[in-house]
This record gives sequence, C-alpha cells and structure tokens, in this order.
Amino acid sequence: VSRRLWAGLLAGAVAATVYTVGSFYVNNWPGTPGPAIYVISPTLVLVAYLVVGMVAWRCYPTERVGLLFTVVGYSWFLPSLAKLHYPLPFTLGNLTSTVYQSALTHLALAWPYGRLRSRFQRGVVVWVYAWNVASNAAAMLFWNPRTNGCGTACPANLLMVDGSNRLHSATTTVASIIGIGTTAVVVLLITQNWLNSGGYVRRAMTNLIWVAVPIAVYVTILNVANNAGLSDFTVYGLGPLLLITAPAAYTVGLVRARSARSAVGAALVGLEPGPPPEQLRAALAKALGDPGLQLALRQTGSGHFVDTRHKVIDPGRLPAGRSLTAVNNTGEALLIYDEQLAHEPELVRVATAAAGLALEHARLQAEIQVQLEQVRASRARIIEAGDAERRRLERDLHDGAQQRLVTLSLALGMARDRAAGADPELAALIDSASKEAREALIELRELARGIHPAVLSETGLAGAVQALAERSTVVTRIVSLPAQRFPANVEATAYFVISEALANVAKHSMAPAAVVTIRKLPEHLVVEVRDDGVGGAHPDAGSGLRGLADRVASVGGVLRIDSPPGSGTRLEADIPCQ
Amino acid sequence: VVDDHESFRRIARKLLEAAGFVVTEAASGAEATREADRVQPSLVLLDIQLPDVDGFEVARRLAGQRPGPVIVLMSSREASDFGGRIAASPAAGFLPKDELSGAAVRRFLIRSDPR
Repeated sequence: VSRRLWAGLLAGAVAATVYTVGSFYVNNWPGTPGPAIYVISPTLVLVAYLVVGMVAWRCYPTERVGLLFTVVGYSWFLPSLAKLHYPLPFTLGNLTSTVYQSALTHLALAWPYGRLRSRFQRGVVVWVYAWNVASNAAAMLFWNPRTNGCGTACPANLLMVDGSNRLHSATTTVASIIGIGTTAVVVLLITQNWLNSGGYVRRAMTNLIWVAVPIAVYVTILNVANNAGLSDFTVYGLGPLLLITAPAAYTVGLVRARSARSAVGAALVGLEPGPPPEQLRAALAKALGDPGLQLALRQTGSGHFVDTRHKVIDPGRLPAGRSLTAVNNTGEALLIYDEQLAHEPELVRVATAAAGLALEHARLQAEIQVQLEQVRASRARIIEAGDAERRRLERDLHDGAQQRLVTLSLALGMARDRAAGADPELAALIDSASKEAREALIELRELARGIHPAVLSETGLAGAVQALAERSTVVTRIVSLPAQRFPANVEATAYFVISEALANVAKHSMAPAAVVTIRKLPEHLVVEVRDDGVGGAHPDAGSGLRGLADRVASVGGVLRIDSPPGSGTRLEADIPCQ
Repeated sequence: VVDDHESFRRIARKLLEAAGFVVTEAASGAEATREADRVQPSLVLLDIQLPDVDGFEVARRLAGQRPGPVIVLMSSREASDFGGRIAASPAAGFLPKDELSGAAVRRFLIRSDPR
C-alpha cells in the first residue's frame, strides 16, 4: 500500500469520525440531541468498516476487499450529510441514505477476497447500486420533508417536483417491495456461494453466513413499513451494531489466516522426522484448512506424478478450482490446493517450504538407510570373504606342508630304524631330525587351527565348542549346547566369541573355571561365557574385545560385556539367526 | 591304505610291508570301496579327507561289507579336530598320520579281534 493512499485513508477515517460525532452534538438543527446511542452505534459502524478496510488493504494489497470495506464505511457516512442544515447536503444525504446497503451487498457477494464470482452476480451488484439511488431519487420526487418528516425546520428537498404524500407513499411501497425481493435474492446468492465454496475459503464463507443473515433481516426491517413496529431506539440505536458483525467476522478470518502460517509450522513440529507422504499431506491439509489438498510425487521410472492416495495426477489438467506449486526446485513433488489459497501466497510459500523440508528429510533418511544397508552388507561380505580365505589357507596348509611333513616324519622314522643297527651315530642324527619334523608338524597344526578351526567346518558349532573346552587351560563347563548346524557366519562368529572369551579367562581373569552357555532362541543364537574371576574387562581396553564386538556386529548381533571389578566377567553375544 | 597323497601312500606301503603286511592302495573313496570288494582286506587305513567323499562316508560303506575290515581313520589333523564324529563312525579308532607304524596297526588288529 502506498504511503499516500495510507495517509489518505487515515485522514478520511479521522475526518468522517469527527464529522459524525461532531454533527450529532454540534449542528444547526433545532432541538436537542437524542440519547447517545444514536451517535455511538453509527460511529462504531463507521470506524469498524474504515479500520478493517485499512487492515485488509494492508494485508491483501492486491485484492479489492480493503476497498470494499472502505466503500461501505463511506457510504454509511454519506447520509449524515443531511445533518447539515442546507438544501444541497440535505438532498444528497437523503438521496444516498441506502447506498451502504448496496455496498454491503457488493462486499457480501465478493467475500472474502473482493472478487465477484460470475457475470450474473456482477450484474446483481450493478443493479443494486443503481436501484438504490434510483428508488431514493424516485421517492424524493414526491417527498416534501416539511409536511412528511421534520416539519418547518427541514431544509428544502431540491429534487421535489410534487409534494403529494399519496404519490410518495406509493413509490416508497413499491421500492420497499423491490428492496425486500432484492435482499432475498442476495441472501440466496450468498448461500449459493457458500455451498459452492470448498477447501480453504469454506471457513471464511461460513463466517459470512453467520453475519449476512442478521444483517439481511435488519435491512428488511428497515424496508418494511413502520419498521415492523419496532421502536426507533431499537432500529436506529441498537440496529446498526449488527452491521459491525461483518468487519468482526472478517477480522476473525484474518487472524485465522495468520495463525494458519504458524499452524503449518506447528503441524510439522508434531510430525515424526521424515514423515510418510500421506501423513505430511494430512498435516498440511489441516494446517491450510483445505481437506482436498494433494501431495503428488514423481514416480521414478514412469515419471508420472502420483498423489498419496495412488491417484495419477496430470499437472497440465487439474480439476477446476485447483492450483499447483512445485514443492522444491527439482520439481519432484507438487502441492495441489484450492485455488483460493492463491490469495494467501505467503501461506502457500510457507507450506511448500515446509513440505520441501519434510520430503527432503525423508529422502535423505531413505538414502542413508540404503547406504547403511549397503555398508552392512559389504561388511558382512568382507567378513565372509575373510572367513573363506582363512578356510582356504587352513586347507592349503593341511593339504600341502602338513602332508609333506607327515611323510617326511614317517620317512625319517624308517631311516632311523634302518640305521639303528649299522650306524648308531647316524641313527641319533636322524632321530633328532625326526623330532624336529614332528615339532614342526605340531606347530603347523596349531597355526592352522588358529587360522581356521577345521573342526568348525567339519562338525559345526557343537563339536568345535567341545574341542575348545577340552583344549582350554581353564576348566570349562558347557551348560547348554544345541547340536544343530547354523549358517557358517553364525557358527564362525559364535566360535570366535567363545574362543576369545576362553582365552581371556585363561589370560586375565585368574578364574579357575569358566561356564559356556549357548541357547537357540526363535530369532537368535545367544552365546554366553561366564567366569568368577577378577572382572574389570573393558571393551576399549584391548583390541581383542573390540574386534569381537565388530565381528558380532557384522552379522547384525550385539556383544555385551558385564565385568564389574572383583565380580567376574560375563560376555554375551546375541546373534540373529533364524 | 586309502589316501589321495601319493607320497604318503608310498611311504606307508614301504613301512607296512617292512612290518610284514600285504598292502593295497586306493586314492579315493570310490576306489577304496572297489578295492575292498576285490581284496577283502583285514584292515583299512582311511584318510578322512578324500577328493570325492570323506572318510566317514567310506567307513560307513565299508562297514556294510561282510566280513567287514577293521577300519582305522587317519588324518594329519588331531582327533579333537573332528569332535565326536570319529566316535560316532563305525571305525575302530583314529591314528594320527605321523604316528603310523607296523606296531600301531597291529595293535588295532589285536584289539578288534583278540583271537
């Protein structure tokens, strides 16, 4: 709104108010002013329309609604020109005494953004303006204020051609009937507009219905002869207060539109992070007051836009009354909303920005999820490849060096036996070589077992754990040991947990004994190694436990270490296993 | 002697023949069952790891023969590397390959047929 317009509106409002109040108390009419209500009510109406007009003008500078409120305000003011005790203003004031009703009609039919909906309704508005002035003019042709009004104190009616009361009452009767009919048509049109409204505007239209009906009743009472028997105090003192309901209702709508913006924020705060699209849509629909709001996402592959209810959306052919906005600049998502929302560009901007953020969040989350899955899978593959490599190494050692050492050892044994009689010195030499070969064989066997326990692939977890327990330097009791076979990576993981745990018991715990429990639960294999030694083991203290935790994590399991100083150690691996 | 390593079979044959045994060799599980059918051995030294089927399976097949041979499983690994499988097999026992000797074989024969 330009500064000049704003200043003009403000000055006009102040002047009109001052005039209205002033003309009531300081006028050159004879007699005394009536009760204060006769000035308070009209002044309140004037101020209400002019102020709300200014506010609306400021909130919606491109819409006509501010102008309409202002027009109603000034047209409400026009009749008080008659307070000036001169023929011209007196005539003008009376001529325009009901123009405010036309302006109200205009405002009501153009509610809430100041735009008339159809050619017909535009025609009705033009008719109402023209009719009001014309019917007043017609009546004034036969109105002699001195005989039918305020007596000799009245200024002259400049339009009067014939002061016949009979003609005057005939014209006013016809005018009243047509006026009442027009009011009825206008109420019907407002109702029709309300029924046709949907989405965002519906609430504003409902507000209008609440105020339009009482105002229409009031206008009808003004049109009925003798004001339907109501006292002047009721009709002219209290009645105008009804008109204030329109700017009040409009203000309620304004406040609601404002709070809708923060409602968008609040709706999103209430959502879980990265919400499913339908949840996001529902939250935005509620915040924007447009239940039909759609959120369409471009399908990868087909490139079609599909809304959250799996309906294909053609952005080029939207249903009537719908508008769309791209949610983000990649154009991957569209928000389709009541076109009336276009009157609230700020609200749409906030909503699309919010939707964009939420969708981006969801997209990133999905991306991270995919990456995480990839990392998990590759970690599992790396461990499996390592296991396979270890198995191969062990087998190579077994098939190659170990076999040759066996053969060598046996050959040396035979050689020693043959040399024994003939050359005792040679026999002793061969014997020591044979012992060396046997030592080498034992060391190689240990090495191979450390690389990969053959017993694990040969017999599965049960046999391997039994072998571990037998070889362990601490007394190891096995409480529970399922005999069945499990997937290779599960068996290997469980085996390494027990092997490392028993080695730790032997090395650090100073416990005389350890207890191993392996339980198969429906979805898990739970491996537990317990001792009653010194405790105090910590996963960060050495690479052994940490490596073990990584190994367990690689199959999606969890390693728990409970080792309070002085109270033994309990190591538990929870390994997913069908 | 059932073993896929030729060098081991050679040294085992020498060692056992020196101890007075008559020796037949087989390099796979299939060959072992064939040879056992043909020569009806008193005792089979059976390597657990074979190229076709494993020693446990061969032992199971040989145990079905009448009169069945005494079966001794062998490996360059230790008995404990096979958990309970040796005990569960029809074999009379286990002999680490590097401990092969005429005396050891004779002990198995005596133990399984004290006459």
